[in-house]
Amino acid sequence: MKRKILIIEDDFTIQTQLKTLLSGNGYEVFAVTDFSQTIEQLKEAAPHLVILDIKLPGNSGFEICSQIRAFSDIPIVFVTSSNTDMDELNSIMLGGDAFITKPYNLAILLAKIAALLKKAGRFPQTEILIWKDAALHLESSRIEYKGQTAELTKNELKILYCLFKNAGKICSRNDIVDFLWDNQLYVDDNALSVNITRIRDKLAAIGLVDFIKTKHRQGYTL
Amino acid sequence: MSGKQYLKNQLPVILINLLGMLALALFLTASDNPFPAVLFILTVWSMVLVLSLLIFYFSRKKYLNKLLDMAEQLEERYLLPEIMQVPEKADEQVFYQIMKMAEKSMLEQIGKVQRERREYKEYIEQWIHEVKTPITAMKLLCENNRSSFSREVLAELEMINQYTEQALYYARSEHAEKDYFVHEVSLCNVVHSAIADYKYLLRQSNMTVQIGDIESRVYTDEKWVRFILNQIIGNAIKYHTEQPVLHFEATKTNDKIVLSIRDNGIGISKSDLPRIFEKGFTGQNGRNGKNSTGIGLYLCKRLCDKLGIGITADSENRGTTISLIFQMNDFIIGVQD
Repeated sequence: MKRKILIIEDDFTIQTQLKTLLSGNGYEVFAVTDFSQTIEQLKEAAPHLVILDIKLPGNSGFEICSQIRAFSDIPIVFVTSSNTDMDELNSIMLGGDAFITKPYNLAILLAKIAALLKKAGRFPQTEILIWKDAALHLESSRIEYKGQTAELTKNELKILYCLFKNAGKICSRNDIVDFLWDNQLYVDDNALSVNITRIRDKLAAIGLVDFIKTKHRQGYTL
Repeated sequence: MSGKQYLKNQLPVILINLLGMLALALFLTASDNPFPAVLFILTVWSMVLVLSLLIFYFSRKKYLNKLLDMAEQLEERYLLPEIMQVPEKADEQVFYQIMKMAEKSMLEQIGKVQRERREYKEYIEQWIHEVKTPITAMKLLCENNRSSFSREVLAELEMINQYTEQALYYARSEHAEKDYFVHEVSLCNVVHSAIADYKYLLRQSNMTVQIGDIESRVYTDEKWVRFILNQIIGNAIKYHTEQPVLHFEATKTNDKIVLSIRDNGIGISKSDLPRIFEKGFTGQNGRNGKNSTGIGLYLCKRLCDKLGIGITADSENRGTTISLIFQMNDFIIGVQD
């Protein structure tokens, strides 16, 4: 079952782009269209998480937050362009779970959403990714193939995670480096090549030869 | 009050008295009084005159000195009429009235200027909050449509965002105390989020980011420190050289934690170093056409002062190290234990 997220945001571009981004990351996304009927629309959509702007036509995000809290304890992520401590404090006092200021870092936004959903306990995340008989164990940082395993470093695990997530598609070098940076691993282009070579050696040692393919001028693929 | 000036002002009184003396002397001599008696009367008269002049002079001087003292001790001098006694003399009361009028118009002017400033500041803050909506929208558009083109736009957006943040903090730095929220902050998190703010610019300049041991916790306001780090990282990008490196490291001593940010950029010349935190100072690098504004480090210093963080800069011709010094006083350590 897909996790449902409701976006309460009045800026149309942000609303549609957030929709695109979140559905691209495997969520089912709704947006409130009529701000006089916010609560009704929320009840109808029954989301697992709410993304709430503070400045809205009609009722402010704070008011909506307290209205939601009156009947539900779903995670609420405040997103706002004003970053005063008063607003942050207010949002926490009213029961908001996270406070993110615009322009938000998308990696952080996605990570917060995932963490909150995980904390809400409804959706245990898969800790093992599988592609063509190879299993990537995220918790123990290993890759397993036909009974043989290889230990991975932090960088190698994240690179493989990125490739596994997009298995079958091409990941450009830039995409991989972007992903690593979002995970606080500041790897540059040269270091990426070194890491890929090392991963290939490790994979070859457990019998996975030519698992990562190079697409000339495009990137890598599994 | 100078005695000479006072004597000059009293000239009419003295002249009238002298005339009176002359008239009396003539009258007395004409009515056959002996010369010594006339001389005696005249001497008494002049003694009374001199004495009264002296008494008046010193009492005036005392009163006026007190007033001067009062004015000097006042921080806002124009408020003097509020605390001085209402004078008794008719002409002084007129001056008092004039001072009151001047004070009132001064207060009105100050009030007006303050109101205008506040309104302008509020407008700037509101504007910045509004401009963040399109910045966010553009960022989302670019992230959803990744290409080499959108990456460049994202880098430019990071610059725009930093400039708007700078304006926001500049507007706020005056009343900083109203807007900070000191709590336990993980240095590691702040550094990572500050780097994330410059992700595309750092990548564009091929910066190698090295993170040393920064697993410390400090008591401060997170978003202010993030802003300060943003300025420092921004400088490292602006003044980078070939194969740029940016290194973060935290060292802990007894009562303080020092976060140093080291780059291998063009550095700061020895003569400029003492002045880099001054407002509008651009120095050698600025003259070499690096588009310096002299605002970034000035703001850093100002915010650091408000937050009680020490900030120092060091440069050995090539490369710059900026250190942020977080105090860990006994009280905080006590609370932690």
